[in-house]
Amino acid sequence: MTTRKPLARLKGGNNEGVVVLVLVVLVVAMTVANPEFLSFSNLFSIVRSSLVPTVLALGVLMVIISGGIDVSFTAIAIFAAYSTVTWVGQRGAGTLLLLVLACAVGAALGLVNGLVISKLRLPTLIVTLGTSTMFKGVLIAYIGAQYIADLPDAMARFGNANVLSIPSAGEVANLHVFVIPVAVLCVLVWWVLSHTMWGRSLYAYGGDPEAARRAGFPVVRAQIILYTAVGVLAAIGGLMHVTLSRNANPQDLVGTELDIIAAVVLGGASIFGGRGSVLGTVLGVFLIQIIQNSLILVGIPSVWQRAAVGAILILGVGVQALSAKRSSRKVFAYAGEEVVAA
Amino acid sequence: MSPTGSTTGRTTTPGRVNDEVDARTRSLVSRLQMERGTLRMLVLTVAAFLLFTILNPTVFLDPLNIVNMAVAAPEIGLLAIAVMVAMLTGGIDLSVVAIANATGITIASLSSHFPHAGGATTGLIVAVGFLVGLLGGVVNGLLISRVGITPILATLGTMQLFNGLAIVYTGGKTLYGVPGQLTTFGEATLAGVPLLFIVFVLAAAAVAVVLNRTPLGLKLFLQGSNVKAAQYSGIRLTRTLMATYALSGALSALSGVVIVARNPTASADYGSSYVLLVIVIAILGGTNPSGGFGTVTGVVLATLTLQIVQTGFNIERLSNYEYAIAQGVILILTLVVDQVSRRRRLNRRAKPRSTSTTTPEVAQ
Repeated sequence: MTTRKPLARLKGGNNEGVVVLVLVVLVVAMTVANPEFLSFSNLFSIVRSSLVPTVLALGVLMVIISGGIDVSFTAIAIFAAYSTVTWVGQRGAGTLLLLVLACAVGAALGLVNGLVISKLRLPTLIVTLGTSTMFKGVLIAYIGAQYIADLPDAMARFGNANVLSIPSAGEVANLHVFVIPVAVLCVLVWWVLSHTMWGRSLYAYGGDPEAARRAGFPVVRAQIILYTAVGVLAAIGGLMHVTLSRNANPQDLVGTELDIIAAVVLGGASIFGGRGSVLGTVLGVFLIQIIQNSLILVGIPSVWQRAAVGAILILGVGVQALSAKRSSRKVFAYAGEEVVAA
Repeated sequence: MSPTGSTTGRTTTPGRVNDEVDARTRSLVSRLQMERGTLRMLVLTVAAFLLFTILNPTVFLDPLNIVNMAVAAPEIGLLAIAVMVAMLTGGIDLSVVAIANATGITIASLSSHFPHAGGATTGLIVAVGFLVGLLGGVVNGLLISRVGITPILATLGTMQLFNGLAIVYTGGKTLYGVPGQLTTFGEATLAGVPLLFIVFVLAAAAVAVVLNRTPLGLKLFLQGSNVKAAQYSGIRLTRTLMATYALSGALSALSGVVIVARNPTASADYGSSYVLLVIVIAILGGTNPSGGFGTVTGVVLATLTLQIVQTGFNIERLSNYEYAIAQGVILILTLVVDQVSRRRRLNRRAKPRSTSTTTPEVAQ
């Protein structure tokens, strides 16, 4: 690490530097096209829309680092949040109780994923595809299919709670209070990933499952904890989503999982496992949210949102793939033949 | 539709007896597994059919109901085969539904420009729609084989891109109306069997022939079982990948044609729940998501099974969400049963022989 060249250090271990560069270019371009972009109210609204994706992305990041792919986290998120809202109703439960309930539901559902994946060593994408349809099905068939506009007081209270209000240009720009828990979660996940044995075991397992096993990491236990933790993160994300949108709709969130995965991958996490960082993930989420929120500000119709995200994703992973190809060519150059391309 | 892809076109390389023996063992192992998968699928299909027949014979066995199932299954089945083809090389294609919709939208949009199209024009319109879908597959192929993006990411990106462009083109609205002949074709039957179902069976048979009786099929299976080995035996990986995703795109495009033939509307968000469903079907049909195994027969049977379960649930007045639960349960149970029986088999063999470790581990 210490011998790295300054340029390589700037680039970051997972191309965070490149994402920062793209973000800066995007922000400058958008500001030039429409100075309104840099206003507090717009920036705060981008932050607000990034809150839930960031929390969900943290879970996805951990799974991707371990070499898996989870597509069930959105189903867990809405399941935990909606069922909590349904059970609590107007019984006047406190915020803490709500949080504990939702997290318990999320942990239980995540545990199902973890047990099936780790004990039976099944492919993660396929298992979570299956559990995701099951969770959503159980939620709507047996728990409730109705849109709930009447949130418990403990949640409704947070809907408009702001930590910072800046009056600007005749209106007030509000920064939602949830930035604090989201920031805490980011730091927590960063710390766990970089400073605990369990966090390191995720990188080890993602890098090479067999090597991690032989090195003595308790990989089955690590995976069970992983998917349970992802369930808890998803539940927190789900509660935040319900609180911020001020209603509980069981049809929400499911269907956005690929957008979140795209953000994490754009943030430099390797889909093969073993690489990824919290910083990159947060940057990736911001990149996607800026594109989705602000195209309209620079005069591009909102119908272009999806195509733009797709194009950015292809561009991002394409550049990564091409540079990986170039460096692998360097490695294999001695063999006197091109290994990657025909 | 022989389920194995490795009996034809094998050439003996002199001085490589060891590899030859290894390849033979592998093909034997894989053939056994494939046939087990197909047989199990057949049992499941028949069991599902019998179950719903017993539960409600008058409604379920009604010819109209059977025809409805045969008309609804082809579009899903074609998409599932498209995903299976990509899985054979160890990849995946998430963009199949987006490609099918692109084809459908092209056909609907062209037909609104030529409202009174004759037979030749209709053919031309369908051909253009098909080519648009094929082009989508070629884009996937280029990104995966030339640029070197992982299939799941490349097709995740193109799924969003194609879908996004479709939203831009249609403005998010549904397009109505396709050429009359296409609708007539969609409603026509031959000896009581809907033409759409016949198209499905013919396309499936064609893919089976390509996979099992042509060099391309052999390369595809080889590349899926062992990329390195395929590479060192002189297979041009980029070409095989290109052909794989072009074929996947062509099948998705055909599914798009079937969709608009059945229902004369096209929109960018049609079948958004199909992406996961067709992956479930491909896996259920015995396809190994890490590559190397898979049969068209298995996938066709899995399509029919899920169609039977869906229709059966409808007849029993169970909701679509209960059908979704069933989908998940069937998928996970199949995986679990597979894994448990495979482990038992491996344990039994572990003592006398160590070759059983050549079976690819389904880890991620």
